[in-house]
Amino acid sequence: MSWAVRPAPEPGPASGAALAPGLRSASSALSLVAAAVIWIALLGPVIALFFHITPAAVSSALRTPGALTPLVVSLQSGLITLAVLACFGTPLAWMMARGRLPAPRIWEAGVLAALLLPPLVVGLLLIFMVGPLTPIGQVLGHFNLSATNTFFALVIAEVYESAPYYVLGAQAAFAAVDPRMEQQAALLGDRPSRAVRRVTLPLAAPGLAMAMAVAWARAMGAFGAVIIIAYHPYGLPLQIWTTLQETGLASALPFALVLLVVALPLPIAAYLWSARARRRRGG
Amino acid sequence: MLDADVEVDRREFTVAVALRVAPGERLALFGPSGAGKTTVLEVIAGLVPPRRGHVMLGGRVLTQTSAPRRAVPPWQRRVGMLRQDPGLFPHLTVRQNLEYGAGPRPEPAGTERLAADLGIGGLLAARPAGLSGGQAHRVALGRLLLARCEALLLDEPYTGLDAGLRRVLTDFVRSLAADRGIPVVLVAHELAEAQAFADRLAVLDRGRVLQDGAADTVVRRPASRRVAELVGYRGFVPYPAGGAGAVAGVHPDRVSPGAQGGRGLVLSGQVRASHPAGAGWEAGLAVGPDLVWCRLPEAPGTEATVTVLDPPCFGADGVLLPRSTQVSA
Repeated sequence: MSWAVRPAPEPGPASGAALAPGLRSASSALSLVAAAVIWIALLGPVIALFFHITPAAVSSALRTPGALTPLVVSLQSGLITLAVLACFGTPLAWMMARGRLPAPRIWEAGVLAALLLPPLVVGLLLIFMVGPLTPIGQVLGHFNLSATNTFFALVIAEVYESAPYYVLGAQAAFAAVDPRMEQQAALLGDRPSRAVRRVTLPLAAPGLAMAMAVAWARAMGAFGAVIIIAYHPYGLPLQIWTTLQETGLASALPFALVLLVVALPLPIAAYLWSARARRRRGG
Repeated sequence: MLDADVEVDRREFTVAVALRVAPGERLALFGPSGAGKTTVLEVIAGLVPPRRGHVMLGGRVLTQTSAPRRAVPPWQRRVGMLRQDPGLFPHLTVRQNLEYGAGPRPEPAGTERLAADLGIGGLLAARPAGLSGGQAHRVALGRLLLARCEALLLDEPYTGLDAGLRRVLTDFVRSLAADRGIPVVLVAHELAEAQAFADRLAVLDRGRVLQDGAADTVVRRPASRRVAELVGYRGFVPYPAGGAGAVAGVHPDRVSPGAQGGRGLVLSGQVRASHPAGAGWEAGLAVGPDLVWCRLPEAPGTEATVTVLDPPCFGADGVLLPRSTQVSA
């Protein structure tokens, strides 16, 4: 670890003065080791995936009939989930950030509860809320809709698993916009809706993009609630699960790779874009 | 004409201010921190609703609490406000910032001319993050001008800028107010800043206007002892000729060394403290139980005699005495 240790300080006359920098470089080396350990541990599985998969296995897995259907289902449900979050989650996040809601703690607690409940439990509870025997289920039944084991159910489950991440991220993004900016826009002649469009949204955009990217990754990987209320149609996570159950690890791995390839580019692009936008604005 | 007569409740006191500013006139609201100066501006801009009162600008009723009630929202008032933080939009270029309130099709040549006038002609493509404090203030000012505001409210805008830059910006706003004939209200807690900018001074303390008048009158003839303290009088000596409890106010700048009978009040005393101040000296003179501060051209000895030029005198109730009972000149 010598590369982590700073150049030895000049030997000083007092031994106490020389000891402190030595301790400091030892502790900085230790924290570097700790950081490297956690970083490798976090990324290790992804690295392992590339060691255990061959291009031939991927192409043969994807060429089996119907193999691409889960991918399409995941993409479609994920995009609809994002649209729902953008339409309903953004105003909620904005009002939470600006303190426009009565009893703000209660609203926040609701979002946090959705974040803290295990997804599997959410799935079970959703049966009680939108299952075929519930009032909501019966209303849906009148329109020939069902919120269990349908594409609609898949979207509901994905919304539940990703919404708290989006709302909390978007709230932080809006809270970081100085309200005086909106005030200034108003004094320059912008009605509130126009000020939101010209000032608030562009300023919050980097944070919103990050929140959106995290929500996308959660929606793509949604599994706990999905397996309870939307076992069919298969999205990618359930495809991986059933393939693993039926034919084993080797045949499930190509789908895991596909899931990563689908889930990750958006977050990475959002990260790069928001980092660039922040740099241009000088922090 | 900007005409405001408003009352706003604050936690410790009610701000009750009436002011009229003619087109092209520059009024400085001067007072200590927390006197309610900014609140007055925010009411005029429509950011804070008053409990009672009205705000009118150029014949338009902007705020009226009596029937028919009116509260024109800030975005329809055409009142420009400049604060200490210029509040430029960081995601827009200087040009986009300048043209922000200029309507859907701003004329590019107009923007460029204004930018050149303001000395920021070469910065139109820059972003706010790359500007110095002075440049950012010029952009903020230009942005208000292109938005065609009909009144300008300046809330201690130049705090933190160096003196030279302050002077340049102050001169620019002065000529601008005159050219465009718009009323300007400046909030300041430094007298020098208020005097450099304004024709008229309104002294505000705990939500009330204590005195409103020409800048030099307010300083030379403060209406009360409290106003005198606020505008820099740093000593009050007994003045028996004005009656029991009467005092004469001593402003450090209105003191001349030596006894000059006929020009004012002659004071003698021990020098208790002194230090260099600007190009001269500031000395604390023990007159009776009080220390009276005065500014002198030379370093004082252990004793000094000075003449307080034409001092304002206040009765026991703290109110300025009539001219006839003042120190005879």
